[in-house]
Order: sequence, then C-alpha cells, then structure tokens
Amino acid sequence: MKNKPLPLLKRGLNFEMLMWIFTRLSALGMYVLILTAAVGALVMGARTQMNIADVLRWSFMPNTTHVQSTNIVAIDPWAHAFWKTVASLTLLVATAHGIHGLVVIADDYIIKPLGRNIIRIISILFMLAMISIGLYIIWTS
Amino acid sequence: MQVTLKIFRYDPEKDTNGHYETYSMQAEPTDRVLDMLEFVKGTIDGTLSFRRSCAHGICGSDAMLINGSNRLACKTLAQELGNEITVAPIMGLKVIKDLIVDMEPFFNNYKEVLPYFINESPLPEDGKERLQSQEARAVFDDTTKCILCAACTTSCPSFWASDDYFGPAAFVTAHRFIFDSRDEAASERLQIISETSGLARCHTVFNCTMACPREIQITKAIGELKLATITGKVR
Repeated sequence: MKNKPLPLLKRGLNFEMLMWIFTRLSALGMYVLILTAAVGALVMGARTQMNIADVLRWSFMPNTTHVQSTNIVAIDPWAHAFWKTVASLTLLVATAHGIHGLVVIADDYIIKPLGRNIIRIISILFMLAMISIGLYIIWTS
Repeated sequence: MQVTLKIFRYDPEKDTNGHYETYSMQAEPTDRVLDMLEFVKGTIDGTLSFRRSCAHGICGSDAMLINGSNRLACKTLAQELGNEITVAPIMGLKVIKDLIVDMEPFFNNYKEVLPYFINESPLPEDGKERLQSQEARAVFDDTTKCILCAACTTSCPSFWASDDYFGPAAFVTAHRFIFDSRDEAASERLQIISETSGLARCHTVFNCTMACPREIQITKAIGELKLATITGKVR
C-alpha cells in the first residue's frame, strides 16, 4: 500500500507545477489585497468623499494619484507606507500572475524549446521592467 | 424520419481541401449515426471511409465530430440529433481520408505515460495475485473505463494548439496506474506528466469530460493528478 507521500523531489513538483500553484494562490492573494484596499478606503472616508469608480481604482492599486482628483482633503493617511506596501505587493503578485498566464498560453502555440525560452526571457524582462517602473511610481508619488 | 446527413469528405489523391457532401435518407429514430454512415457507404458511395469495429461503444474506433460534439457514431441515435446531422473527423489530428485521422500523435502521447502495470516486487507467498481492497480499487475505478477513442483529447483546445500536449486520454491512463495501490511507478509517471507539455497546460476547460462516451470524470481525474504532484499522496 502506498500510504506515505512520495518524496518531494519525486512527485513531479517541478517549476511548471510550482508556477501552476503560484497562479492559483496569487489569484487568491489579489482578492485579499484588493479587498484590504477597498475596506481601507471606506474606513478612511471614501464612503462620502469618493465615487465608486475612484474607490475601485484605489482598490486595484492603492496609490495616492488615484485619490488626488476626488473630494478627499487629508491625503496623508492615503500616502502611508502601509498602502505603498499593499500597492507594491499587488503590483508584484498581479504582474507575475499575468505574465505567467501569457507564457502558459504561448506554450500552447510554441513547441520548440528555443522558441519557448525566447518567449520566457522576453516575458521576464517585460515583467521586470513593469515592476521597476511601477515600484518607482508607487514609492516616489 | 427524413434525415439530411452532411459528411466531411477528403480524398488525398483528388482533393487539396476537404469539403462536405450531403446525403438524404429515411432513418428510424433509433438508428445510429454509424448505421447511416454504413447506409451511405453500402448504397450510395462505397468510397466513404471511416473507422468502425465492434459497433457497440467498446472498441472506441468511431469517435467523430457529430453536430459539433465529439461522440461515438455507434452510440449516437438519430433521435438525439434531429433531421440535420453533420459528421466530421475528430479535430487536432491530420485527416488521412474522409473521417479517418492519423492517430499516431495520440498514441505516442499515450505511450509516454507508461500505460502498463509496473511492479518489480516478488509475488506474494502463494505465488498468485496481488490482492487489493475494494476501497483501494474504487480510487481509480472511473479511469479504468477508458476505451482510447480520443474523443476527449481531440476536444481539448490545448491539444488543438499542439499535439505535443499529452492530452486528457494520456492523463486518464496515468491516473489509472498512479492511483493503483499495486503499481510501483507512480513517481516516474508523475514526473513525466508534470513536464512542460503536461498537467500545467490543462486549462480546466471541461470539454474532455463532456465528450467522454464512457462518462469518465476526466477533469476531476486531472485535478487529482495535479494535487498528487503537490501533496505527493497517491493513496
């Protein structure tokens, strides 16, 4: 009887499957981050000072540029390092999730290992560029 | 009932592209698509080519795209389809002639997952059989029902994109052996099917489950394989 789990290195838990798990968990992580930002916005006064579109814009990326054109007067709580951290995590998780999704779809159509590696390198470079620009905006705005 | 049967035709010696030809006939509501194809071949056009063998849903030879869904011609009745019936080859495999496709890529993927019982341990003391409880047998009962008709694999968008993807049928076979408590090669098989052309490319579309003429819960089985690569639990 096979009652014991297979050893960690002998169960097929390779990069492909780790990324498969990451994609599922990162989707859940994004729900948590977005809901945190939405609840935070309501606590900080969004209910009376922001419309729903602005609340959603903030929730998906809690950056002060998203509250500047609203009726919010005291912007300091919205610029707190906590929200910059939430925004950074959202950026990291969402970018990696999305880029990996694109790579998986590309794998459906590109069969040769060389082609797959080229797409992976381009995707990773694109992801790093987007993360760098995003982090710069989040922490300097 | 009056039936209009539209059949995909392709003769590699004459045609550059496939086309449809239409045949009209009288059929009983309980006639099967296979009966209608036999009627066309026997009385109208003897050059019509299609695979069939047992004609009772066991051999898996006559999987076809019937009115847009993969089904076995021998198990699909006229009354389920209405008066207009369209029959085409299963998708994602090269058409050889009419409704016959090249099954080699499908069987190559099948062979990759080691589709046979592996146990190098000595036989039990009585030298007879390796016993298994009913509960242990029930774990993989569903996936023993596969008849390799390819209806599942050729309904899968990932397989349409490229036939290097193992496809649902290969995963079903892998499941059948990986979760068999008597088999000793679960680790090898899990490592094979978790490669780039493997489990991670299943996008959980459920086409395979809907297409299976044996009603195997294929997407569930693939999910169990994915879980096994994470937890390492195959029993």
